[in-house]
Amino acid sequence: MLEQQVYVADAAIATALYLSMALGKPLLVEGPAGVGKTEIAKALANALDTRLIRLQCYEGLDATTALYEWNYPKQLLHLKLEETSTASEAEKEAVIFSEAFLLKRPLLQAITQHDRAPVLLIDEIDRSDEEFEAFLLEVLSDYQVTIPEIGSIKATHRPHVVLTSNRSRDLSDALRRRCLYHWIDYPSLEKELEIVRAKVPGIEADLAERLTQVMQATRTMSLSKIPGVAETLDWANALVALQATELNEQIVGETLGCFLKDEADIAAFKTELPRICMDYTD
Amino acid sequence: MHGLHGLKQDRVMAELEVEKLIVFCRELRAEGVSVTPSEAVTAASALQVIDTTDRNEVFLSLRSILTTSVDDFPIFEALFKRFWSRSTHKFVQRETLQNSTLRQQSNTPRQSPKNLAFFLEHWGSSFSGGAQPVKVPGASDTESLTTKDFSEFTNEELEEVSRLARRMVRRLARRPSRRWRPVRRGHRVNLRRSLRLSLKTGGELIELTYKERRPKRTKLVVLCDVSGSMDIYSRLLLQFVYGLQNSFAKVESFVFATSLARITGELKNKTYKNALDRLATNVRGWSGGTRIGASLAAFNAQWLRRVDSRTVIIILSDGWDTGEPEQLAEALALLQRRAGRMIWLNPLLGSTDYAPVTRGMQAALPYINVFAPAHDLASLRALEPHLVL
Repeated sequence: MLEQQVYVADAAIATALYLSMALGKPLLVEGPAGVGKTEIAKALANALDTRLIRLQCYEGLDATTALYEWNYPKQLLHLKLEETSTASEAEKEAVIFSEAFLLKRPLLQAITQHDRAPVLLIDEIDRSDEEFEAFLLEVLSDYQVTIPEIGSIKATHRPHVVLTSNRSRDLSDALRRRCLYHWIDYPSLEKELEIVRAKVPGIEADLAERLTQVMQATRTMSLSKIPGVAETLDWANALVALQATELNEQIVGETLGCFLKDEADIAAFKTELPRICMDYTD
Repeated sequence: MHGLHGLKQDRVMAELEVEKLIVFCRELRAEGVSVTPSEAVTAASALQVIDTTDRNEVFLSLRSILTTSVDDFPIFEALFKRFWSRSTHKFVQRETLQNSTLRQQSNTPRQSPKNLAFFLEHWGSSFSGGAQPVKVPGASDTESLTTKDFSEFTNEELEEVSRLARRMVRRLARRPSRRWRPVRRGHRVNLRRSLRLSLKTGGELIELTYKERRPKRTKLVVLCDVSGSMDIYSRLLLQFVYGLQNSFAKVESFVFATSLARITGELKNKTYKNALDRLATNVRGWSGGTRIGASLAAFNAQWLRRVDSRTVIIILSDGWDTGEPEQLAEALALLQRRAGRMIWLNPLLGSTDYAPVTRGMQAALPYINVFAPAHDLASLRALEPHLVL
């Protein structure tokens, strides 16, 4: 199923996703940056032909940005228009605190999706703070939110929830326990090659193999930012755009900004460049 | 007839599976992987939706349900292997199991001897996840005081240390966080609240309320080594701690040598001299030997609850420990898991020929986020960015 979505899945991912759907539990995906954690949710949404709702986490993310907020300008405008009406204060309040004045943020969107269960991607949960994690736990436990002015809203369809984390901080045990757990590591040479071929169809077989070898070798160097699969694909696309057919010192040197994003790393890589080129290029 | 019999057998099979699963969960717990009853229930229901004859599918399913971190994978895998071969081999080899129980229960990458050697070899170069020495700006200040070693300081110059601490703390306290709080006067209108208030006046916005960014709250816990080997520095670093204490509400300070003592109260004093006098009378083991591991373990036993992810732990010590390095590593691992950041200030790091080779220091390095010198004012100043979480 996932293969059709140009996502190179292995048995572990497939099993985890299957269980997550069969048991109705959120899936927590951990792993280093750039190995395709977010892609899992995208591929799942495509495969199920449903909407992907994404909540990008950051420090200080709170309920008003994640769940809902009232549309204040609209409320104000409405009150102005109704100034001359004879409606009582309570009636006015009931109107402006109705669903029409509600701005649905990702979590509420995911719960109120009418036609079918969407995929809810909660990206980089480790970047949010603990209060938000606790709040999220509450939402994920019964897929129900309470808005004081309206009342409780229960999920019409339980969303398929995928959480990702880069392990920049420890998630609470409570959250971990509520989720199925999956770990993605950097792919093996074979798998990465398969990914490059699937995602960059225009690439020549020989070039794909060599650039994957270089990437695998790069990951064994002691760099401060180890390139992920996303970087491999960027680089492959760049090489295709430059109509390169083979790797040599010059072309690698010109394009290494695609996969090394740190000044010191680039310097370290450049000293290794001749050796790498000897090993992996023509 | 046949159908009924088949049904019965199915149920027997299912019960067997569940029983086996419960035993498996129990063994996982014995190995230190905490499995809750609700996870066991989830696992049992998973067995009903997967192909239980496919060993790999069972393995992957149970792993994603019963583990909550990649750190538990090796244990799970070993136990799973043994568990599935049990029907053929009756005796379980306990030995292999015991090795894995000895693992440190921490989320940091486990430090095998090889890892540690690698770390020491590469420390100073970038090594993600490990400690890195802070670059001290070389002679950036005009005052010669900034680079003068503390051991050469006179009493008058000590006051400068307190001042520096207070300046740093004031700057830290001003950093805004991402969270809002309502205020009477501010720059951003708190629409939610204002609109609520406007209903009193028939929807006319008369009274505006405001909001502003909540200041970032970082808590500090300072553990200062006052043993003999630290004598020339500890007086001074205490001065620094005193400065922090008196301008930052959330500082807990402790001193340790052979035992641990909380000095938060003592340092809350009008003058440093008073504070020092009270300290001298109250703290035993002042300038004696050092048992860092035991002292930190004592801290953990009593004060660990004060530490959370918004807490920065600062340990001031030269790492000369007469206790067991294992105890130090264990205490630090526990502390690091709870704390937002671990900073180890080692005055000896200021001298160019120093390498952290003492057993205590070696045991500590894997659990330290920032390893920095603390021998002059410039090095203390360089600490500031690390105090913000």
